[in-house]
Amino acid sequence: MPGPSIQCRQLNLTLSGIEILSAIDLTIRAGEIHCVIGPNGGGKTSFVRSLLGQMPHSGDVEFTWESTDTPKSKTCTKTCTKTSQHTIGYVPQFLDFDKSLPISVYDFMAMICNQYKPAFAGFGRGNREITEQALERVGLHGKSKTQLGSLSGGERQRMLFAQALIPQPELLVLDEPMTSLDNRGEEIFLSLIQELQSQGVTIIWIAHDLQQVRELASSVSCINRTLVYAGPPEPFLDSDEAAQLFRFTRPLSTPPKPSTDPDAELQHE
Amino acid sequence: MSDFYEWIRVSFQALAQEGTIPQAFEYGFVINALLCALLIGPLLGGVGTMVVAKRMAFFSQSIGNAAMTGVAIGVLLGESYTEPYISMFCFCILFALLLNYTKGRTQLSSDTLIGVFLSVSLAVGASLLLFVSAKVNTHILEAVLFGSVLTVSNTDMNVLLVVTLVILAVGTPLFNKMLLASLNPSLARARKVPVELMEYIFVLMITLLTVACLKIVGAVLVEALLLIPAAAARNVISSLRGFVILSMIFSTISCIAGVLIPMQFDLPLPSGGAIIMVAASFFIITTIIRATFPAYKEARN
Repeated sequence: MPGPSIQCRQLNLTLSGIEILSAIDLTIRAGEIHCVIGPNGGGKTSFVRSLLGQMPHSGDVEFTWESTDTPKSKTCTKTCTKTSQHTIGYVPQFLDFDKSLPISVYDFMAMICNQYKPAFAGFGRGNREITEQALERVGLHGKSKTQLGSLSGGERQRMLFAQALIPQPELLVLDEPMTSLDNRGEEIFLSLIQELQSQGVTIIWIAHDLQQVRELASSVSCINRTLVYAGPPEPFLDSDEAAQLFRFTRPLSTPPKPSTDPDAELQHE
Repeated sequence: MSDFYEWIRVSFQALAQEGTIPQAFEYGFVINALLCALLIGPLLGGVGTMVVAKRMAFFSQSIGNAAMTGVAIGVLLGESYTEPYISMFCFCILFALLLNYTKGRTQLSSDTLIGVFLSVSLAVGASLLLFVSAKVNTHILEAVLFGSVLTVSNTDMNVLLVVTLVILAVGTPLFNKMLLASLNPSLARARKVPVELMEYIFVLMITLLTVACLKIVGAVLVEALLLIPAAAARNVISSLRGFVILSMIFSTISCIAGVLIPMQFDLPLPSGGAIIMVAASFFIITTIIRATFPAYKEARN
């Protein structure tokens, strides 16, 4: 199932009188890994949520889904992006929840997969197998009975990746997925991202680590209130402008090991 | 429906006369009370887990307070002071919708906003209710605040039964979506869950529930019965299934014991108060268990 291409024109976002994003024109081609980078507080998450139609933005966002049987193009303006027949996998930055809630990994996945059967009544038909496979892919098998509150930050992030794989997405949106990942989790994520791209999935990835962007991204956009740059990664990452913007974030040559502390995520944006 | 209730009452009374079950069941009102307890116990216990997971405890408290205003308005408009359901439902639903609408459109944090609504509804409700009870019947106040399960009528039982069925029919299939909508709205939207709609549906469920349980548990204490059994279950359980089941068990036992114990020992307690005291004892016991056994401590860290 090929992923969509996405085009946005003159995208603006103003929240309670403050201009968050202005005049963004961007095209993301089908099946590419598109990295969104930029300084913290620059509006990366707001931009991606606007693309998904979750924000009261103005401007056009157009998804073109190329289906194998009937090519159809869905055009929507304003706050709606009609994607109802297509699967978007979304990995949020982190899960904000009451850590003492008695919800296990299985319960969470059942809540996600089951259509109507309440999660406390167990999995619906076939959903346990699908969940097992997804957890296996992110290296979380054997953690199925663990409570969410007892998972490490990285494990919780992997669980969120697993839910984005059910059902197989056509568009995958990752919001700084590496923030609290350990080394092994990072390897798993990077190989999964590559695997999904090889299957034609369009991937939008809000990224922090410029080294990973350099290695994997097909295209890059840099958002700092407005679009600073859009295009292939290399020329921009080597430019003085990028050096200026990212001077205070991670140096390119030595990406630091992310912390495995579950609370580390709270210190980021 | 009333024939059915009558049939249950007659069969219980026959059993009581034979001596198979305690003597108290010779009275129709005791059987009514027990039937209500059997309905609201599992219902409040089950919905309570959602209230706890969605952190909506104080929301339901303010609906309970709004119900007092509803009763007062009903009496003033000439509804029967024992069953002013039309006014209660109308006023509470309006109140709940307004609160939820405001919540999505203000800069205030939700606990501040609910705090405002909670105190305003208490002030208005208490004032109106005192005014009305002085004029009509002084027992209204006590019954509305703390419940009076012994005066439950067929109408009360019908309302409760219908509300139970509605909540089961709506709440069960939407359980996952409502939970996900509050755990992570952004993820829920990406998964095509209509987050705002889910919030409204949940709020309406709580409102119906609060009004239907008012007679048994009382306006002030409905929220406690939503909260305490679920909190007690959370102390000792690590899976969602156990959470829901144990919360329902705690809540049902609390309701039955809270209704029967005062009758058996001739204690002049309001039913709501007795029910909550039993529920509270579950909470205390589970808290002690959790603090004592290291297995539970580890699971938290």
